[in-house]
Amino acid sequence: MAALLTKEKETTLYLGPQHPGITGNMMVELKLTGDTIQRAKTHVGYLHRAFEKLMEERLWMQCFPIVCRICVPEPDPNEENLARAIEEIEGREVPERAQYIRVLMLELARITAYLMWMGGQSGSMGLYTMPQWSIGDRDYILDLFEELTGGRVYHMYIWAGGVRRDLPVGFKDRVRKVMDYIESRLVDYDRLLFENAIFLKRAQGIGIIDKEKALEWGVVGPPLRGCGIAHDVRKDEPYEVYDQLDFELITHEGNDVYSRAMVRRKEIEQSIHIIRQVLDKMPSGPIHNPGPNPLKWKVPAGDAYVRTESARGEFGYYVVSDGSLKPRRVHVRGPAYVHGIALLEHLLQGANVADVSFIMNSLGTCPPEIER
Amino acid sequence: MEPILQFFYNLVPGLADLPLWIAATIVGAIVVVAMFTYIALFALIGIWLERKISGHMQDRLGPMEVGGWHGWAQTIADTVKLLLKEDIVPDKADKPLFRFAPILVFAAALSAFAAIPWSRSFIPANLNVGLLYILSISSLVVIGILMGGWASNNKWSLYGGMRAVAQIVSYEIPVSLSLIVAVLIAGTLDMQQIVLNQSGSILSWNVFRFFPFPFIAFFIYFIASLAEVNRTPFDLPEAESELVAGFQTEYSGMRWSFFMLAEYADMFVVAAIATTVFLGGWQAPFEFLTFIPAAFWFLGKALLIVFVQMWLRWTLPRLRVDQLMYTAWKVLTPFSFALIVFVSLWKIL
Repeated sequence: MAALLTKEKETTLYLGPQHPGITGNMMVELKLTGDTIQRAKTHVGYLHRAFEKLMEERLWMQCFPIVCRICVPEPDPNEENLARAIEEIEGREVPERAQYIRVLMLELARITAYLMWMGGQSGSMGLYTMPQWSIGDRDYILDLFEELTGGRVYHMYIWAGGVRRDLPVGFKDRVRKVMDYIESRLVDYDRLLFENAIFLKRAQGIGIIDKEKALEWGVVGPPLRGCGIAHDVRKDEPYEVYDQLDFELITHEGNDVYSRAMVRRKEIEQSIHIIRQVLDKMPSGPIHNPGPNPLKWKVPAGDAYVRTESARGEFGYYVVSDGSLKPRRVHVRGPAYVHGIALLEHLLQGANVADVSFIMNSLGTCPPEIER
Repeated sequence: MEPILQFFYNLVPGLADLPLWIAATIVGAIVVVAMFTYIALFALIGIWLERKISGHMQDRLGPMEVGGWHGWAQTIADTVKLLLKEDIVPDKADKPLFRFAPILVFAAALSAFAAIPWSRSFIPANLNVGLLYILSISSLVVIGILMGGWASNNKWSLYGGMRAVAQIVSYEIPVSLSLIVAVLIAGTLDMQQIVLNQSGSILSWNVFRFFPFPFIAFFIYFIASLAEVNRTPFDLPEAESELVAGFQTEYSGMRWSFFMLAEYADMFVVAAIATTVFLGGWQAPFEFLTFIPAAFWFLGKALLIVFVQMWLRWTLPRLRVDQLMYTAWKVLTPFSFALIVFVSLWKIL
């Protein structure tokens, strides 16, 4: 029998770049025997837009619309990172109200990203009701974004020195209303997805990340917290006003797809909790500490590395300025690069072909962010 | 076929003067056309209904524009679109097999309609082995699907086709075994006799007799029949996020829509078998309701089961291949064997 198995012929299956189960424009080359994956190789390069290089040829102000495009479902951590890096180089103070508004934005964006992930995760196993629900509910938050920033997906709202606009009249109440609604919907989500017997059967014990190696590989965000390792930039190295807010760091033992899902599920609750605190505690005052005319804006020479916790994990920006009108170098360290290439290849080894899309979604693989 | 021939003789007395084989052929052709029309209509309404049901489950409205009232003409418009679409046969495909596969799948689905009793007098072919006939003719679907998957010369199609074969062949066993439970009670394979055997009130339906064994068998049959017709949670052969569209990947236009028609026809067939064998067929649930035509009860019960099939599709995710096989071989099959043993013992004692 063993001899028969070893002689089994390998099939090559190219999953992507156009495939309904893939999370974007990338390809996974699978070597299969039967339904079992022997080796997987990721091929990226279908979406490379050279953002890092592009920014070297743009004014500092013009970099903000570019960084948004790095991570489509959740652009705010990128704006936040770039803004914070510039502020660190310049030594510019950010008014407290602006810091609160930034946290509000980041947490709203986190919820939208998790709602979108929920849709992808359940769509990857053929449960198409969930994407309709969660992406429909995400729209209520997008409405808030539109009201506040003018953009639904890309906001360009967080700015060096603060934020672009103050909250409109009655905005806080509308945020509260949406948060109450999302909280009430979580019960439905639980019943449809997180407590669904078939989901439990499919998710438990699948896509196991080796806990010992997780840190070594540079796994971050929900996949790392799903290994039971408490790592969150919001707690480890609090930025903005996260140190003044009370929230729990969610971890879950299990290392599998299910534990990653549960981390995200519980973090939605924490984000709602954070947003409510932000709304209560937000002081009045200025929202922007203005700098020079953006067309003549020279950032002093220097460099800074900043980190932000996005819905996928830790986003790091290394920004170097040579004192000119344009950045010398902007380096982006995205979580999807680690998760979506090396880790994905590793997890797919020995997995079932039916689980490819399932595992990809649980890692938050995002080709626009892998390639930039 | 006798009652139907008689019905047509009464309708057109001239038919009785013709030799029997000519009369039978004419009547047969008419019945086939009627059945085809019925399947097409059922698919039209079924697809519209499925969109509406899924829409309402997903906080949407579903089609609302075409035709005015709740988009009732949406499927008609889609059918016209499918008719006008270019018919693509891949260059490297095995062309005869590729062309023949949808025909075979649809023919098998259509033939199953022959032995379904719609009322006391309307059953296209009153075979004494009706149930066996339906089970065996609908097994042909597998060959058609494998043919389509193989002939497309596409890895996704091949995977879908292979999965379909593994799935449908495995699930035919619990389907047949759970039906045997009811056959043991009825003592016949004749569809009409099985229905007549359940006359009386709702309590004399097979589901509620010899409680709880046929009741469990009914659920086993229902679950396994979902796998037979590739419905969620067993829609692995056409799993979108895994296999693009499985065996249908390379099909377009009318050929694709014949697969679609066959899928809806099969949905109705398995619902009709469940109705006939377990839910009293065309019989009214209570004695005083018999004034309502039998076809109404039959259609009502069958459509209720079709509705449950659609309902499950939008609330359950898909199983993995190994879990699918586990469910068939380690859960459903042993349970239906146990049910057969229990019911046989009960019958003897």
